[in-house]
Amino acid sequence: MGERPPFDRVLIANRGEIAVRIIRACHEAGMAAVAVYSDADAEARHVRLADEAVRIGPAAPADSYLRIDAIVEAALSTRSAAIHPGYGFLSERAAFARAVEDAGLVFVGPPSGVIDALGDKLHARRVALSAGVDAVPGTHDPAPVDRADAVDGIVAEAERIGFPVMVKAAAGGGGRGMRLVATAAELPAALAAGSAEARAAFGDGSVYLERVIRPARHIEVQLLGDASGRVVAIGERDCSLQRRHQKLVEEAPAPGLSADDRRDLHERAVRVATAAGLRNAATAEFLRGPDGATWFLEVNTRLQVEHGVTELVAGLDIVIEQFRLAAGRPLSEAALAAAERAATPSSHAIEVRLAAEDPSRDFAPSPGRIRHWVMPEGPGVRVDTGVGDGDRVPPDYDNLVAKIMVHAGDRPAAIDRLRRALDETEIAGIQTTLPFHRSVARHPGFAAAELSTDWVAETWDGPAARAAVVQIAAAAAAGAAVAAPAASDARDPSRDRPAAVAPVSGWAAAARADAVDRWPR
Amino acid sequence: MPSIDGHDEPPVSRRRVTDRATGDHVADVDPAGASSAATPGPGSRPLVLPASTRPSVRGRIGVEVVVDGWRFEFDVEDADLSDLRARATAAREAGRHHGPTDVRAIIPGRVVSVAVAVGDDVEAGQRLLSVEAMKMENELRAPRAGTVERVAVGPGQTVELGDSLIVLR
Repeated sequence: MGERPPFDRVLIANRGEIAVRIIRACHEAGMAAVAVYSDADAEARHVRLADEAVRIGPAAPADSYLRIDAIVEAALSTRSAAIHPGYGFLSERAAFARAVEDAGLVFVGPPSGVIDALGDKLHARRVALSAGVDAVPGTHDPAPVDRADAVDGIVAEAERIGFPVMVKAAAGGGGRGMRLVATAAELPAALAAGSAEARAAFGDGSVYLERVIRPARHIEVQLLGDASGRVVAIGERDCSLQRRHQKLVEEAPAPGLSADDRRDLHERAVRVATAAGLRNAATAEFLRGPDGATWFLEVNTRLQVEHGVTELVAGLDIVIEQFRLAAGRPLSEAALAAAERAATPSSHAIEVRLAAEDPSRDFAPSPGRIRHWVMPEGPGVRVDTGVGDGDRVPPDYDNLVAKIMVHAGDRPAAIDRLRRALDETEIAGIQTTLPFHRSVARHPGFAAAELSTDWVAETWDGPAARAAVVQIAAAAAAGAAVAAPAASDARDPSRDRPAAVAPVSGWAAAARADAVDRWPR
Repeated sequence: MPSIDGHDEPPVSRRRVTDRATGDHVADVDPAGASSAATPGPGSRPLVLPASTRPSVRGRIGVEVVVDGWRFEFDVEDADLSDLRARATAAREAGRHHGPTDVRAIIPGRVVSVAVAVGDDVEAGQRLLSVEAMKMENELRAPRAGTVERVAVGPGQTVELGDSLIVLR
């Protein structure tokens, strides 16, 4: 980089792959990185990579990664100058940003007031309105939830918007508090349930109504802003492949947009962000309907999980840029140049989120211990992960285990590269979403960029995909187990490695592994 | 096929492969043909490891196989032995009533709540307890009707895959 580090020492208030990714940015920019960890993560990779680590509590997030006091205290006691929140956990809690600011530290993200304002989706909708940017049609005030006398009014509003409508939490995120409502009769119950879920998750039960855009593409714009009030867009991403409002595959740029479409979309995102007084990094999300109309959805005031695909296409390190902006520096030459090129991207990147979930059982969580872990390498491949062979994926946190990203000259080449990379990927010990991603990489509909937020529900049959390989698996198991003698000598540690194509390997080693490779008690 | 000890193996009979999680019979495989039975494409080459825990029945071998990203846990045993055991078990079962049923954790996590106490009569499908994993609550229900004989866990407790949680009689 050649310039002075933005800070000497910073604390990362997160865990997993994003903590690792931020620590890497710190080290590249010449800053010392301080990790925090819960008891479940004492041996985690982010702790091992950091220059210093502070224990902040037991495994439960409420007792550790959500403890504002403990994290601020950890930063002060390690003489860290700034705190990067990552994503999830406290990243979009204005109270956290405020506590960091009040402690005389720098929060690496937008100011607490902006988080507060944009974190309330109803407020964000009003900001968009004032900036002349069309938000998804719907209501602009909290819906009455527990007042029987107000039911008629809200039902009438829903009728005006048109069923089906979406009930959404003002403080929402990750799909929580959201309910799809098909008829007026279901509305009161859906409002109550959505509100209760939102209150439990966010401490704020405010909900509102939005028109359902379907089929829709989810397109978002990466924004950076400096202290002078200048905001730029450095490209957009398509994140349409989702299930239960959780993204599974993301790519940059969004396929099928003209340079004019891009300029228009970026310009609208910048207008909303400027009106909101955005600083540092954020993402403006839009829905694009089948007719090409694009509606503003919300702004996320944090680093996104999928920021890496934009980094690959824009040639910019967004996390380092965040630290520079947090230190009060103006947008870098590199960021301004990336913004210049944003409407005419010259390469393509795709990311898949490998999660500890079973795609044959409706993506149910599947935590456990990783027993074998081979990540792809080679040209145009980037893997961001916080785990490795032998690590445990704890049930306490988000189930993302790795982000596999590929970068190539254009979209078809990126898909070829994705298919190749996923074929190299090997994981045992836990079920992951790998089979789903392999299927996406080979799907003609994906190659044709026929993307929508309903794509997963419409095209993925997990039980059938699993059933299609069960006999191959059984044959491999039987073949491997043939020459398994009763435990004899097996000192060769290489025998603990998994066998390729079921050659008969040391089953004495199996017996020994049985004895030692237990779940920890 | 030579064993790892270098001796020639005696002729082997069919192998019975069962799913560990469900106990379902998956296949009877003739090991002589097993290795050539399927030639999967690149990226679909099976990955075979010893299972992470020992099978509960002697003579069985636990195997974890991953094919095309799908993970399977199988028990493998001699099919003839398995048939013998099945007949013996059937004969024993015929002579008596239900034994106790152990309800085990199907997912590692934290017990959120326990809905029953020792002595409670429960119906099949009745909620017994909730385990939280990865921000989601998973309910465990009674596999059959019976009486709660033992409650091995309490709220807040962390459980591992396969831990005994509740015993029904």
